[in-house]
Parts: sequence; structure tokens; C-alpha cells
Amino acid sequence: MATVRVERAFKSFVREDGAEMRVLDGVTFEARDNGITCLLGPSGCGKSTLLNAIAGLEKLDAGKIEFQVSSLNFVGTEVFSNPHLKPETRNLKLGYVFQDPRLLNWKRVEGNLTFAFRGMSVPRDEWKPRLEKYLGLVGLAEFRRQYPLFLSGGMRQRVGLARALAIEPEVLLMDEPFSKLDQLTARKLRRDTLNICARLNQTALLVTHDVEEAAYMGDRIVIFSARPARIVEVLDNPLPTSARDPDEAEFIGFKKTLLNIVLKLIGQEDA
Amino acid sequence: MDSVDNRPAARDDPLEADGDTAASVTARRRRPARETFTDIALRAASIFTLIFIWWVLSLFFPPTLVPNPRETFAEVGAIIQSGELLIEMGATLRRVGVAFAIAIVLSIPIGIFMGTVKAIESFFEPPVVLGLTVPGLIWAVLAIMFFGLNEHSAYAAVAVSILPMLTISIWQGTKAIDKELLDMSAVFHASAWSKIVDVIMPQLISHILAAIRYGLGFAWKVVVVVEMFGFSNGVGYRVVRGFNTFSMKAVLAWTIAFLIVMVFIEFGLIGWLERSVTRWRPRAEAWRR
Repeated sequence: MATVRVERAFKSFVREDGAEMRVLDGVTFEARDNGITCLLGPSGCGKSTLLNAIAGLEKLDAGKIEFQVSSLNFVGTEVFSNPHLKPETRNLKLGYVFQDPRLLNWKRVEGNLTFAFRGMSVPRDEWKPRLEKYLGLVGLAEFRRQYPLFLSGGMRQRVGLARALAIEPEVLLMDEPFSKLDQLTARKLRRDTLNICARLNQTALLVTHDVEEAAYMGDRIVIFSARPARIVEVLDNPLPTSARDPDEAEFIGFKKTLLNIVLKLIGQEDA
Repeated sequence: MDSVDNRPAARDDPLEADGDTAASVTARRRRPARETFTDIALRAASIFTLIFIWWVLSLFFPPTLVPNPRETFAEVGAIIQSGELLIEMGATLRRVGVAFAIAIVLSIPIGIFMGTVKAIESFFEPPVVLGLTVPGLIWAVLAIMFFGLNEHSAYAAVAVSILPMLTISIWQGTKAIDKELLDMSAVFHASAWSKIVDVIMPQLISHILAAIRYGLGFAWKVVVVVEMFGFSNGVGYRVVRGFNTFSMKAVLAWTIAFLIVMVFIEFGLIGWLERSVTRWRPRAEAWRR
């Protein structure tokens, strides 16, 4: 369906005192097709900057971001570099779920989705079936006429997820979407997101600093070092989606393995 | 933005996360009817107290100084019935309306540019802040000296005196716009038009409404002063005529008739406008008390 390749990505910011701060230091990895790739790293290491660069919100100093898309719209495979920078990449659809829901609070739930439909030029006769399908998937079918501020935090994040999915993106980008929810809401939403992505065969990138979340959500886990970010390890999750139960020994075992790897590779640098 | 973030945060029920039912959501939305009734009763009592004090005063002073409230209100009724109010108020409203249109058309772009471009902010800040301190009476005098006694001077005086106020509101509102929502709309390829209409204007609208409210309060004061200077119609002219014939009853009757129209515009029209553009916001009543 779609793959994302990031090649030797460099990015620096100039701090307020004038000093240059390197954030991305030659990051290279390939996301998995039809699965969730977790970008796991310490807070503030530059994972979100990279995700924003992939979304076209941020420009890299050097490096390449390539999308290989073989959807029905394209014959064969098309390769794009950074989207939004070139007009032809407007055909590439990227869904984005933010840390905060980032909803238009003055629009109803359905209005938040149709806002994205209009932007992404979804044909008008598809709006209704898509509203039903994706709001149904996230469990908000009966709330489509509601305004976001009348919904709970978890429900608002679900609206954000539905908005990103409903444009039927080649790649779904998620930037710590569960980190501001309480533990139980987050746990439930993680499970639902995992199931929905598996059901839709969605290619997705998920940025997180939470090892357990990476072990649970990631089909592939890309481990970032502390700033400036480099890739220190890439590993594939040995457990299929259906076998990832947070309370099962097998999952707990993998989580420990992952935690040990993270501690060994980036723990010392932190200390 | 003031109350955008006043969301009932972390409402999630820990046991049944995301378990808000449709019923509880609508219940949160409804306003208790009794509280509204008490509120209206208190407001009415306040008005009646004022009229009562006036009536008591009228017992101790001659009618030339404090006329009887009942007679004054009869005069108000006569002004309304004879259609005079419609004509004079029409003239005053037209002046305020035109001036407002001018001020809005100027202040929206200036305010938006001040909120987005640092250089424009630095350039416009001194005149805006200075303009705010100039009394409306001075603008009225200047406008009449410059344009003479005609409609232009009324438009100019009112427009110039409310312009700084409107500009400041829109300037501050623009600075408060959520940049993250603009990123969001870029991700979903929203067009420039959609960004303005769906993302920016809804955030500005409450600031614009507040500006209109303050601006109107100021505009009425200035327009009446301009009319007093020698216009031959408008509410201000009628008040001055009452003054010249030393008819306290006429002065008060015109003032009251004017107030009635104002109350209708400010609470009725603008209040309705405000409610209809903020339907999406949960009412704050619950915590105000």
C-alpha cells in the first residue's frame, strides 16, 4: 500500500542565545508497509520534529523523505519526496493525529471531518458514507451532531483519529496521541486504535516515548537516541497484533526485552 | 481567547472510560430554568427600584426639576406613538451604523496585520493607544470644524473615536489565535479561504463581538454630542431642544426612549448574535454562581 523511507535526515534549530542546536543527526529508517511503525525515543529527542517534516510542516536541512505509494489511484509505484513542497504531492494523503485533539470546537463532530474532506477534495457523495464508517469505527456514531467541548477528552481524541482516518490516508501519522489522556482511557484508545489500523491495513507512524506503548502498538519499533537523534536500533515486534495482551506473559516478556534494549542503548548516554 | 479552554477537563469516568452517554452530555448542556427566572426577577426589581426612587424624589421637587415618572413615561409613549422616535432614532442609528461600518472595515485588516506582522504592530501601536485616550468630545469638535455641520462630521467623529477600541480588540484577538490549529489545517490541505472562514474567523468572532459591544456604548455617547452641536435631527438634537425650552420632562423622555432602543440593541440584537455564534461553547453558569 505505502511505504515511507527517511534517508539521512538532518535538522538544526537556532536557539534564542544564538547557539545552534542539532535535533536530527542523519536519521535513516524505513517504515513498515501495512503496519504501525513506532518511533520510540526520549522526550525532546526530535521524533516529533521528524514526524512534522514527514507531514510537510517542517523543512529538513538535508535528507530525503520518500513515499512509495501503490494505491488504486496510481499505476505502478510513485515516489514522492517531501510532500506539500511540490504540487504533485497533493495527491498523497497523510492523516495526522496530534497530541491534543486540535479540533475546530465551533464545528460539530461531523463538521470537523468534512473540514478535512473539503481540504483533501473528497468527492461530496462520499462524505456521508465515510462519516458513518469512520465515526462508527471509533465508536462515536451517535455523537456526530455534538460539539467537541461537550465531549470528554478521550472522545475528542477519537474525533481526531476519525478525522485522520476518514480521508483514507496512505500513511497515518500519530504524535503521542494518548499521552494527555488518563491511563485507563489511554489504554482503551490504544487497543481500539491498534484494532482499527489492523482492520484497515493502515500504514502508520506513531511517535512515543513510552516503551510499553511501543511494544503494544508497534509492528516495527525504531529506537531514537537522545538529542541529536540518531537511530540506534530497529526491531520488528515478534508478536502479531492479536497476541498483544498487556496482561499476558508473552507480551510482558517482550516489553522487558525492549526496555532492556532501550536502557542499554540510550540509558547510559542520558546518565 | 477567554473561555475556549474552560472545557470540563478530564471528565472521563475512570471505570467506564469514554462512557459518557448521550443523556449525560445533553444534561450538561441544559441550563436550570429556575436560576434564569430568579435572574430575570432580580434585574426587573433593580429597574423598579430606580423608578421608585425617582417617584419619591418627584414628591419633594417641583415638576420642572424632577417630573413625575408616570407623566414622563406617558411622554415616552407619545414620542413612540407619534412616530417621532422612529424618525429621530432613525437618523441617529444611521449615523452610528455608517460610522460603525467604516470603523469595522478599517479595524479588521489593521488589527489582523498588527497581530501578525511585528513591524506593523510597532507602527500602529502608538496611534491606536493614543487614540484611545482622546475624549469623544474632542473628536466631535474637530470633525465639525473640519467638515462643517453635516453628516460627514457625524460619521467621522464616531468612526474615529471607536476605531482604536475596535482595532485593539481585533489585534489582541489575532495574537491569541491558535497556531496549532493552523498547522492542523495545513496538514489537511485546507484552502486559504477555508483557513480564514473555518479556522481564523470563528476564533476572532468573540473578540469582534466584544469590540462591537464596547464600541457601540462609546458610539452612542459621541453621536449624541455631535448632534447637540447644531444638527436639526437625531436624538441628541431633541435632547438639546428640551434643554433650550427647559423641559426636564422632554429631556428625560427622550433619554428614556433612547435607552429603550439601546437596551433592545445591546441585549437583544447583540446578545442574540453572541449566543448564536457561541452555541458550541458550554455555558459557564455552573461555576460562576
